[in-house]
Amino acid sequence: MLGVGTGPEGSVATRATPAALPLGREDRDALAVLVSVQGLGPMTLDRLLERVGSPAEALSIAGAAGGADALIEATLDAESTWRSMPRAVADAIVAAAGRRSEILDGIGRLDLRILALGDPEYPARLAAIEIPPAALFVRGSATALTATTSVAVVGTRRPTEPGRRIASRIGASLARAGALVVSGLAVGIDGAAHAAVIAEQGPTVAFIGSGHGRLFPAVHDRLADAIVDAGGAIVSEYAPETEATKGTFPRRNRLISGAADAVIVVEAGAKSGALLTASWALEQGRECFVVPGSIDAPMSAGCLGFLRDWPGLVRVVAGVPQLLEDLGLAGAAAFPRPTVLTTPTSRVRPAAPEAILAAAVAGDREVAAALLAGAVIVDELVAVTGLAVGTVLGALTRLEAAGFVSGSHGRYRLEGALAARPPEGRGMPSERVPPAA
Amino acid sequence: MLATLLSATLIALDGRVIRVEVDVAPGLPGFTIVGLADVGIREARERVRGALRNAGFVHPPRRITVNLAPADLPKTGTSADLAIAIGILVGSEQFTPRAGRAALIGELSLGGEVRSVPGLLPMVLALARRGVGRVVVPADGADEARLVPGVEILSVGSIPEAVDALRARRRASPRPPDRVELATPGQLDAPDDGAPSIVPLPPDTPDLADVRGQAEARRALEIALAGGHGLLLIGPPGTGKTMLARTIPGLQPPLEEEEAVTATIVASVSAEGPIRGLVRRAPFRAPHHTSSYAAMVGGGPALAPGEVTRADHGVLFLDELAEFSRDVLEALRQPLEDGRITIVRARGAVTLPARFQLIAAMNPCPCGHAGGEGGACICGQGVPERYVGRISGPLRDRIDLWVGMPRVPSRAMLLGHEPEPSSAVAARIATARVRQLARPGRTLNARISGRMLRATARLSPADQAKLVALSELEQLSGRGTERLLRVALTIADLENADAVIAPHLEEAARWRVPSARPLLALAV
Repeated sequence: MLGVGTGPEGSVATRATPAALPLGREDRDALAVLVSVQGLGPMTLDRLLERVGSPAEALSIAGAAGGADALIEATLDAESTWRSMPRAVADAIVAAAGRRSEILDGIGRLDLRILALGDPEYPARLAAIEIPPAALFVRGSATALTATTSVAVVGTRRPTEPGRRIASRIGASLARAGALVVSGLAVGIDGAAHAAVIAEQGPTVAFIGSGHGRLFPAVHDRLADAIVDAGGAIVSEYAPETEATKGTFPRRNRLISGAADAVIVVEAGAKSGALLTASWALEQGRECFVVPGSIDAPMSAGCLGFLRDWPGLVRVVAGVPQLLEDLGLAGAAAFPRPTVLTTPTSRVRPAAPEAILAAAVAGDREVAAALLAGAVIVDELVAVTGLAVGTVLGALTRLEAAGFVSGSHGRYRLEGALAARPPEGRGMPSERVPPAA
Repeated sequence: MLATLLSATLIALDGRVIRVEVDVAPGLPGFTIVGLADVGIREARERVRGALRNAGFVHPPRRITVNLAPADLPKTGTSADLAIAIGILVGSEQFTPRAGRAALIGELSLGGEVRSVPGLLPMVLALARRGVGRVVVPADGADEARLVPGVEILSVGSIPEAVDALRARRRASPRPPDRVELATPGQLDAPDDGAPSIVPLPPDTPDLADVRGQAEARRALEIALAGGHGLLLIGPPGTGKTMLARTIPGLQPPLEEEEAVTATIVASVSAEGPIRGLVRRAPFRAPHHTSSYAAMVGGGPALAPGEVTRADHGVLFLDELAEFSRDVLEALRQPLEDGRITIVRARGAVTLPARFQLIAAMNPCPCGHAGGEGGACICGQGVPERYVGRISGPLRDRIDLWVGMPRVPSRAMLLGHEPEPSSAVAARIATARVRQLARPGRTLNARISGRMLRATARLSPADQAKLVALSELEQLSGRGTERLLRVALTIADLENADAVIAPHLEEAARWRVPSARPLLALAV
């Protein structure tokens, strides 16, 4: 259904049982090596493990003389020969067995934890999806994904400025309500959601479409560090040296929806990959929300189209407090905030609390207020504040140094705690304290 | 009989004195010119023949040999026409000149009129250096030639006038033969204005009051012109980059005396029209991005000055910087470093001045819309960064101010104050420049040495700490930190402040090289 790939008939029924048990260290390492093999898909890997018993056994077969032939023999179908693994794959497994220590060293260098299907820490939500990854490579807190409530916030890589602000507000509100925010580390909506959670010092998990050693997008390396420092995790089902390709992202999207109880699409163009995540959510039986927009807005076309295609299945975000209520999180914000699990390293600046702004010089506060009111370029800031151009520019540098503002191409936007602040004075319900349930 | 006269030719921006020897000897009629003459000079035979006849003189049916000495110096152009013609008249004894050294410069028309030549000023300068006291020059170049002190300038409009000026005893010139005039002489290159010493503003120069919005870029332009800093405007098409740059001629302060002499020589050699006095208007050159290497650095057989030289002491504006060919941009390295350009030819090398200020504009990416809201930019990820990355290191280092120009929504244009006119901004720029040039070293902040910069900035310990904090924040190299301080010093100069303080540094920090991601922002 939904036009997204599903496994062959009966694939779930024939899933191997050995992998469902907690693995020993030897088997876990062997599994990581097997997952690193290019061309060895989940179905073939399953069948191989089913026949030979364990990952370590599979590797030892590969390491022995005539390993490739033995592997092909092991995966030979009982009735016909066409389902056996191709020779190229068998050769690749043999080669990987030879590079075993090199592969494991690489994983160790990146400080990755291997979670195998069946491990107690393996996220229960993911174990329940169709074709769960045999292994997950986790950087950061492996337990972050075990949160009671987990919500995915996804969207376009080319958001509008209001769309970005909405993603920030939703991310921050979810974090304050104690929910885990899951997303894909992409530029745009994903990044804004992650960053907003970090500004709240909350945990967030990013599923990436590449190996950890080839982080994509590279410009988010600092964001990835910050996620780990704030007690979250970066998770990949790909071996560390896997390059991101066109095909890795759709496959990754099923994990974002699978690891969440609900998926929220903030902005999506007509052909956005975020809609794929939403489709997976419906298929996996997750709640699916879209933020509606004008029918003329290109970045709302995908959201509205999805809403139209799946009437009754997709819900609408009517406001941030309403969303929290729909998710059953209202009132939860009264609970104490989650504490930071690890101390931030020097590479990442702590998100500035709003209190710092109150102590700032008057001009800086005026410029920040103008940005909150929707000003984007210096012309608007000068017109709204009435300050000299030089003064506005100096204020922007100070706000930037404090972590409240960032700018590029002559456009400025709010960051940190200010990014998640809702527009003021429009008769909107407060998002700071959601109504008690 | 042999006649020897002086004239001059041009090598790049330098005049060179040449000796014109004309031998009118018995024998089969003929006319030969020797002495490394280029095509322009060899064609002088035909011009001289026609000019003499139509001015009422006789082109003698004798064996005429012209030697241009020194024989090893390549000679170009038409400046020796007049000297050759007068040499023939003297050699064939059609008149007797009075004694004393005199030089003649000018091109001849077939009708015997004397026309001006490019580079008159440096040629007269060269003659003056060699102690020549009298120079015969074309009438329409007389003002230019009179800029050289200590030389008697004899301004002539035709061969008969030249003969009269040189003749020992007054006598009527022969009557010229009849002619039909359909084109009045001088009609094509008549002086178009009476402005004595300043080249007028180009007529299409917009005033800053006409530029709405872009407060950030206007401020950057003011700082750049005040301190002589390199400036790069980056923004989508239609945001006013070119419009803003075209206001520059109305903002540049007039040239200093010494600069004006060079500018006038360059204008003279480039034949930019009649020169009535010293050129005080700072040059503003805006070559198109399809300009060739030779057009940019100079060259050709006559070693004509290129755009970098013509922009000496002024602004070289490169629109669509990323579209210029790599060779052309690489050629800017030397002038940006030393303020000179060396053109090497098989026969030798010449070095020309090229102390220009670089101002450039470009789109942020190939499609032009990067940094805009929503899905405006259709370039792939990383493409905008690579596009801006085409600007190579040496060029980058010379750009002190990088400015992103956003699309200004019309509501912001309506909100804004009435924009300042050019005259107000130009006044501040001029004052800031006076401050800089009054300091020891007499250089603009853009070219001040690192030691001088720190001495002039007079940072307090607290502001020193601020500078360190800002450069750490922005991960600036040593060079980047110096650039920040340099720009801050110009901002202080614009405010008439005697020391650089924190607000100057904070404003200067805005003009950094753009990075792939917004500074400190976690998410892009």
